[in-house]
Amino acid sequence: MTQLVLGQVLNGAIIGAMYGIIALGITLTFGITGIVNFALGEFMMIGAYVTYTLAERGMPYPVAVVPACLIAAAAGYLSNKAFFQFTRNNLVNGLLVSIGLISIFESASMLLWTATPVEMHFVLPGALRVGDIGLPKMKLVVFAVIVVVIVATYLALARTWLGRAAFAYAQNPEAAMLMGVHTPRLETAVMLYSTGLAGLGGALYASLYSLEPAMGGVYVLKGMEAAILGGIGSLMGSLWGGVILGVIEGVGSVFLPTAFRDAYGLAVLVAILLLRPSGLFGDE
Amino acid sequence: MTGQALLWGLLYALPLVVRSDFLLTIFIFTFIYGILGVTFDLIFGFTGQLSMFHPAVFGVSAYMTHLLAVRFALPFWVATLPSAAAAIVLALIVGSICFKFRLKTFYFAVVTLAFAEMIRLVVMNWNSVTNGTLGLVVSGKPTIYWPGSGVVPIKGPIAWYYLTLVCLTLTVLICSRCLGSWMGRCFGAIRLNEDLARTLGINVFRYKLLSFLIGCALASFAGALYGYYTGYIDPGYFSINQSMEVLAMVLLGGQGTLLGPIVGSFVLTGLPHAIDLRAEVRAMLYGAILIFTILVMPRGIVGTLFALRSKRDA
Repeated sequence: MTQLVLGQVLNGAIIGAMYGIIALGITLTFGITGIVNFALGEFMMIGAYVTYTLAERGMPYPVAVVPACLIAAAAGYLSNKAFFQFTRNNLVNGLLVSIGLISIFESASMLLWTATPVEMHFVLPGALRVGDIGLPKMKLVVFAVIVVVIVATYLALARTWLGRAAFAYAQNPEAAMLMGVHTPRLETAVMLYSTGLAGLGGALYASLYSLEPAMGGVYVLKGMEAAILGGIGSLMGSLWGGVILGVIEGVGSVFLPTAFRDAYGLAVLVAILLLRPSGLFGDE
Repeated sequence: MTGQALLWGLLYALPLVVRSDFLLTIFIFTFIYGILGVTFDLIFGFTGQLSMFHPAVFGVSAYMTHLLAVRFALPFWVATLPSAAAAIVLALIVGSICFKFRLKTFYFAVVTLAFAEMIRLVVMNWNSVTNGTLGLVVSGKPTIYWPGSGVVPIKGPIAWYYLTLVCLTLTVLICSRCLGSWMGRCFGAIRLNEDLARTLGINVFRYKLLSFLIGCALASFAGALYGYYTGYIDPGYFSINQSMEVLAMVLLGGQGTLLGPIVGSFVLTGLPHAIDLRAEVRAMLYGAILIFTILVMPRGIVGTLFALRSKRDA
C-alpha cells in the first residue's frame, strides 16, 4: 500500500511539473502584462507535434526540442501582435480571443495531423529502481528539466535588472516606461518566453504520452488550476501548485474512485480559494 | 421599443411564410440557445458575474426532466418544475459559497467552473441512472392542451418553433420585468462598482445571489427543451465548450442587452449551417469570427447598432 501511494506521489509530481510549466506561462503573462493567455495549451500542442514530426523523420530528440520551442514562440509572437496585445487588462476579452485561437489551432492541427492519437518512439528506455518503485528514466529527466527551468526563471526575475523592470511594468506600466523600461519590448519578450516554455512543455510531453489535437485544452485547464492554487503572480507557486495538484490527483485516485480523478484537484482548489483567496504562495 | 415589438411580431409570423424545415430548425436551436444566452446575460452582462455554471444547470435539468418523466410517468411540463427546483438548489449552494467568500471575476469563474466539472463527473460516472458516457435516448414529447383536440404531443418543426419561441418570449419578459424593477438597478450598481453599491446600503450578497438564482432557474428550461428536441442527452451537455459557446453568443450579440444574446445565438447556430465547409475549416472560421468580433466590435452586434442609432438621433 505504501509502495502504491509512494509511486503515485512520484508520478503525480512528474505530471504536476507539466502542469507547472503551463502555470508558469499563465502566471508570467497575466502577472506581468495583464494578458490572459488561455490558449497556452495550444502552443504546447504545437511544440509536441513539431517534436513528434521531426523525431519521426530521424532528427535526434534533444535537437528536435529546439525548433519545437522556436516554432511555438513564433506562433506566440504572431498571436500577440495580431490579437493578445489588444486584450491587456481585459480578462474576458483575453479569454474569448483565446477560445477563438484554441478553435483555430486545434482544427489546423487536425487538418495537418488528423485526429488520431499518435505516439513517439521511446526516447530514453529503461527505469531506475528505488527500493521497490520503478521510475522510468525519461520521466525523471522531464521532471528535472522542468524544475530547472522554473527555478532559473525565478532566479532570473528575482535577481536581475530584467526582473525588476518586469515587476515595475506589472505595477505601473507608465511609470516603468518613464524609468527607461522599453515596455513594448518587455511585453513581447514575456509573450515569446511563455509560449516558448509551453512549446518546451509540449516537447517533453511528447516523449512520455500520446498526442492528439485536443490535448491543449485539458492541459491549460490544469495549468490554470495550478497557477491559481499556487497564487497568480508567484513563480515558484506555479511549480508547487502544479506538483500539489498532480500529487492530489494521483493519491486521490488510490483511495477514492479513479473516475473522479479531476474532481479531487478541483475540490482542493475550491477549498484553498475559499480559505486563502490569493492562493497558497500569493501575497496581498 | 417599437422596433423590438416589430421584430417579435415578425418572429411569430415567420412560419406563415417560411415552410422550410431547415430554416425552422435553425430558429428552434436559436430560441433554445437564446434562453440560455439571455439568462447568462442576466448574470454576466447585467450583474457582472462571469458564471461558468450554466452548462451544469442545463445538463442537470435535461437529465432530470427526462428521468422524472420516464420513471414517474409525469408529463413534460410537470417534470420541468422539480428540475427547475433542483437548478435553484444547486445555484443556491454554489452561489452562497462563492458570494459569501466574495469571489470576484476570475476566481468566481474558476470556482463555478470547478463545481460544474464536478457535477459533470458525477453524471458521467453514475452509470445506473445516467447511462454514463453513452447518454440517454429521449423518446417522449412535450404535450400541450389544445382547444378542440384535447392534449396533443408537440411534433414537427412548426409546433416546436412556437413552443420554443413562447418559452424564449416568457424568459425575456421575466428578465426584463426583473431588470426594470429595483432589482435591475441593484444589479447594475453591483456591476459598475461593488464597493460603492455596498456603501449605498445595497445588500450585495443578496442581489448577486438573486441574479444567479433567477438566471439558473430560467436556464433549466433550456436544458429540458434541448433534451426533448434533440431526443438525446449525454454528458457533453456539461462540457466547458458549452459555457464558452454561450459566452461567445452573448458577446457577439451584445452583452448587457436582452436582444443581443438572441442575435448572437442566431448567428452562431445559423452560421455553421449557412456555410458548407469541412468541419475543421468551419471551426477555424468560427474562431476567426469570434476574435474579430471581440477586437473590432467589443459591444457586439446589437450594442453597435444601438450606438449607431443614438449617434444618428443626436
